[in-house]
Amino acid sequence: MSFIEHSKKILRENIRDYGMYIALFIIMAVFTATTDGVFISSRNIVNLVNQTGYIAVLAVGMTLVIVIRHIDLSVGFLAGFLGAVAAIAMVFWHWPSLTAILFALGLGIVAGLLTAFLVAQLGIPSFVATLAGWLGYRGALQLVTRNTGTIIIPNDAFNAIGNGFIPDIPVAIWPNVHKLTLILGVIGIAFFVWNEISKRKKLQAYNFEVLPPEMFVLKLVFISLLLGSIAWVLAGYRGLSWTAVIVLVVLLVYDFIATKTVLGRHIYAVGGNPEAAELSGISVKRITFVVFASMGFLSALSGILFASRLQSATTTAGTLFELDAIAAAFVGGVSAAGGVGKVTGAIIGALVMTSLTSGMNLMSIDISYQYIVRALVLAIAVIFDVATRNTRK
Amino acid sequence: MESTTQNRPPIVEMRGIKKNFGAVQALRGVDLVLPHNEVLGLVGDNAAGKSTLMKILSGAYTPDEGEIILDGQPVHFSSPLDARRQGIEMVYQDYALANNLDIAANVFLGREAVSFSLGPISVLDYHLMEQETKRLLERLKIRVDSVRQKVERLSGGQRQAVAIARATAFDAKVIIMDEPTAALSVAAISKVLDLIRELKAQGASIIIISHRLEDIYHVGDRMMVLRHGRKVHDAPIEGDIHEFRERAVAYMVGARNDFPVEEVA
Repeated sequence: MSFIEHSKKILRENIRDYGMYIALFIIMAVFTATTDGVFISSRNIVNLVNQTGYIAVLAVGMTLVIVIRHIDLSVGFLAGFLGAVAAIAMVFWHWPSLTAILFALGLGIVAGLLTAFLVAQLGIPSFVATLAGWLGYRGALQLVTRNTGTIIIPNDAFNAIGNGFIPDIPVAIWPNVHKLTLILGVIGIAFFVWNEISKRKKLQAYNFEVLPPEMFVLKLVFISLLLGSIAWVLAGYRGLSWTAVIVLVVLLVYDFIATKTVLGRHIYAVGGNPEAAELSGISVKRITFVVFASMGFLSALSGILFASRLQSATTTAGTLFELDAIAAAFVGGVSAAGGVGKVTGAIIGALVMTSLTSGMNLMSIDISYQYIVRALVLAIAVIFDVATRNTRK
Repeated sequence: MESTTQNRPPIVEMRGIKKNFGAVQALRGVDLVLPHNEVLGLVGDNAAGKSTLMKILSGAYTPDEGEIILDGQPVHFSSPLDARRQGIEMVYQDYALANNLDIAANVFLGREAVSFSLGPISVLDYHLMEQETKRLLERLKIRVDSVRQKVERLSGGQRQAVAIARATAFDAKVIIMDEPTAALSVAAISKVLDLIRELKAQGASIIIISHRLEDIYHVGDRMMVLRHGRKVHDAPIEGDIHEFRERAVAYMVGARNDFPVEEVA
């Protein structure tokens, strides 16, 4: 096969995955052009990443929930409520920030288990069960903030999560460049290249199909350049933000679990065919509990990121987060039929949606049009998904 | 094993199986014997009790009366999973595969090979599973492009082949196939029948439920007919296909009823 035929074949087989990256690239390029480069400036990219953070972690959890054919509408107000709980623990109970965070994360898991109990144990449709959660957590959020209104969080360590940056190495060279971010970028690239090469070698040793060498090198160069330029842009401002670090850790851990572990395999099996999974000895109930517990945990994390970013807990925190997360998950390639959807896709989907908001804000586009544009992007993503899925069969 | 080849007990024996659903007597004392390396065709009209009997053998139902002896040992199954662990594999009519996963993932579904574990997190051993699946499919002469192909991209016949391969992957003692050729094209049917022959040649003991009598005729060693929850016929498959079919149908619809019934006191 020639190089071009190969490229076509690979593009056709992975059109859904690549389409998302291409869309993100086009959106970024268009906004960079229309805003005279403001969009791609280090400062804006950092803001973009920090704004994406609290939706991205929700989208990761939501992707797995949708993969097992459920939905969770309660995550937005649960996030708002748990952010308020963390704020109250620090401000009124004078807990250290770490204890307050762990407490909120723990409550998140409990809330997720409660949802799972309704869904898996009592057989209530997740739409209804989590709609009840939506109402309940909204009430709870208003209740705990009723007497105080917005709670200002005067805790620097906590507020750094949403606003701070990782420290730099104190050396005198390159005063305006964040050295540690660059070093992490280089380590990231090295790890990626090493991982790809060792994977390829293993596949060859087992006589499995691999990319032709020129495609392989092209892929390595392209992704390395991408990682490198992201690191470079971030290093030009104040480096990697703590939010970005948290999102990266969530991404790596969840991607690992989803693709490399028995648990992940079982989650996708339950999504693909629950009856077959059950007959194979996989407990659908247990998987449902695990996935909703993880969703609760990530809701708490989202609430903490948001409260930290605003440096306060507000009475309306978390409003409509659930719908943003669901939209991000669908733009990221999750399928409502179940069993299909990647964790990396969720993050890209969240980035696409926040890039749209950020870019259109920079262009001062009327908010009404912004909603319509986002609606179109969501619809196009799903139409594209359905169309490519049908032709693949 | 303690038994010799000549004097081996049957791989499965079901004795006096009774099962009622409310007032309906689905099985009224059925015996079934499956010797090692035999293909038994189980036929009967709808509601004759064949599915109920196989659900009891595969652990989905518990019999009201009667016993199951597996390889000389009395056994009780608490669930399909339990039966599977003790060596009874069922190939379901709708294949019971996860279409979103690849072939290797389906073959190892619920029995994944693990390279190492950290607490509750077990890391998959992809290469081992893919290698084993490749070997298994080659051994059964099942042709696919790659074991990494998603099941949703396979044809009906290939899916059935994967479902059957999966049942044989873990040294099953007995493989039960529920309508293995239903909803398949003619070409696919002959491939599935070839696969069943191949399995027998490799020593498997198989029970096939089928409405297609010619399939039973082509691959079966023995036919057992159920009617209204009773065994009405149990004999080796012989003669030409027309004769065979007439005999089977006669027993199925009750035109012939000459099976020696042991009267229960």
